[in-house]
Amino acid sequence: MIILNPPAPPERAQSLVAAYEQAGYRRVEPAILQPAEPFLDLSGEDIRRRMYLTTDAEGRELCLRPDLTIPVSCDYLASPGAGTPQGFCYLGPVFRNRTAAPPEFLQAGIESFGREDKAAADAEMLALGLEATAHYGLATPEIRMGDIALFVSLIQGLDLAPAWKRRLIKDFDRKASLAHDLDALSLSADRERPEYQGVLAALAGSDPHAARALVTDLLSIAGISAVGGRSVAEIAERFLEQAALGSASGLPQAARGLIERFLAISGDPDSAAAELRALASEANVDLGPALDMFESRAGFLAARGIDVSRIRFSTGFGRGLDYYTGFVFELAEPSAKVGRPFVAGGRYDDLLSRLGAKQPIPAVGFAIWIERVANGGAA
Amino acid sequence: MSTLVIAVPSKGRLQENAHAFFARAGLDLVKPRGVRDYRGAIAGLPGVEVAYLSASEITAALAQGSVHIGITGEDLVREMIADADSRVVLIEGLGFGQANVVVAVPQAWIDVRTMADLDDVATAFRIRHDRKMRVATKYINLTRGFFSGQGITDYRIVESAGATEGAPAAGTAELIVDITTTGATLIANGLKVVDDGTILRSQAHMVASRGAIWDESARETARSILDRIAAQARARSYREVRTRFPGCNDALLEQARERFGVASPFGAPTSSGMLTLHCPPGAVYGLASFLREKGADTVSVVELEYVFSPDNPLFNRLTAGLGS
Repeated sequence: MIILNPPAPPERAQSLVAAYEQAGYRRVEPAILQPAEPFLDLSGEDIRRRMYLTTDAEGRELCLRPDLTIPVSCDYLASPGAGTPQGFCYLGPVFRNRTAAPPEFLQAGIESFGREDKAAADAEMLALGLEATAHYGLATPEIRMGDIALFVSLIQGLDLAPAWKRRLIKDFDRKASLAHDLDALSLSADRERPEYQGVLAALAGSDPHAARALVTDLLSIAGISAVGGRSVAEIAERFLEQAALGSASGLPQAARGLIERFLAISGDPDSAAAELRALASEANVDLGPALDMFESRAGFLAARGIDVSRIRFSTGFGRGLDYYTGFVFELAEPSAKVGRPFVAGGRYDDLLSRLGAKQPIPAVGFAIWIERVANGGAA
Repeated sequence: MSTLVIAVPSKGRLQENAHAFFARAGLDLVKPRGVRDYRGAIAGLPGVEVAYLSASEITAALAQGSVHIGITGEDLVREMIADADSRVVLIEGLGFGQANVVVAVPQAWIDVRTMADLDDVATAFRIRHDRKMRVATKYINLTRGFFSGQGITDYRIVESAGATEGAPAAGTAELIVDITTTGATLIANGLKVVDDGTILRSQAHMVASRGAIWDESARETARSILDRIAAQARARSYREVRTRFPGCNDALLEQARERFGVASPFGAPTSSGMLTLHCPPGAVYGLASFLREKGADTVSVVELEYVFSPDNPLFNRLTAGLGS
């Protein structure tokens, strides 16, 4: 039997990452074998079928790293410099169960933590991503861009029940669900009446605190002790929320129309920003800081010499991962279908908190599919 | 000549039911080397080996192709075999081992009735507690597939080896996905099934492996076994109704077919007027009354042992599923 050493990443990828080191990003090499928990927790259970899982002697679930964002973030949090602005770059294998593609492939990328100048940091990521495609001879990849914070601001600014807001925001990245949600919202006047009509009718219009106390008492009288990690107060609160949802008539056609018009906005960032401003003032919705950030980012992109008119921005563009919170982008072959980019990344300001950081730490980064970009460059 | 391997559950009620199922078809499973043996045969039918395995071992063996046919629950097939329909053929539901795989939440969750409610609670839970709701289950793949179909993303699976229904009370999970027959265990543990939270209505199935070696002799042996099973199944679903009814005509037969679901395996009355019909057990009295009203003589009804029909639906399903 011939035992081969694992091949070193190709020279071209090494020189790309060397350039990132030159630009001030420290090269890191996180462990290949990682605790599975953070991936399942942050990327969602759906990633489980794509992960190579194993267990250690104590029964803890481990996995071959399916990406490097979470390992780099964990190592940063565990380091003495956690919380301070730091940038890292990496190059190494990742492992995913894929049909019709090898399970082991190379990714390079950058993670930037702790920078408060978010718009500038976002623009820098896109610029560094473009360096990668240029490094492989791809002069003009398609630049797709989105901004989840804009959708979140729009929904938060609408006069909707909290349950609907949660749901619309959660379903943003799942377009089929979002369309379904909009239908359900519009039809909510015809919905089945919820259970416990008597209690709900008695509570209608009463003071929220009193109502919550009453439902809490009813549950206690019934001898129901909360099980399953939700408190009685929590159940009572949502029960009342649901009651409000049930008695409200459907979403005004105007609100639905507004969401749909919002989602139809796309184009280059400057014209999109103008359209968003117009829509916001016409509908009297405040897109406030999210839109300011968007415009400021576009300014930084232009300042970095990126031809902003080449960017294809879309309000509906997301990357299908739970943890993005704002700016997202992909660099791809112009004809490539969504989901097979050369480079992809974005901002995930909640990720480090969800990994256990005591203070919020802004974070932004991107990953490069080395084999894909190398083949695209050859083709 | 290769041996056809049939895997049968090795313990519990599933074994008893499987034995009874084969016995009804006149196929006696025997253990020539004693009851503790895990290999057996079918009396009087050479070329068959019976492997006694646990239901989950059977499912794994079917996926690998190390047995030809196995008796196991559909829940295990759907859970354990990725892309099950490309690797096994569900030949027939056997009418025992019925159980549903369901999503169950604490009864105290008065705000949760549907999966849409659960979706919302899951997201609210994540926002409020900064962690995801935990679902205890041994059905990891079924749960993931179902939740994904419902658009639920804010949850974590906690693998449970046993006594899943105790997990919410023990504080190791918020809700469960588990198998239930009557729901009594769930109720006893303070849980309720979500209205549209039934993931799968499962029962014991006869399942064939597409990966096993299906040569001529294995197919031939399977054909004769499935022929007997189909003949017995058909016999059980009918009673034989006999009468002398020279005046019977096609129009009357057609009427009997429509009203009572009757089959006429031997066609119209013989020259002496004898008529034989097969009638579903529940419609026997109605048919007997109908026939006499229309002028039939004495009507006798007997149970059938086997009805061997020219076609073999189970074997057809097997060959169609094997794809050649």
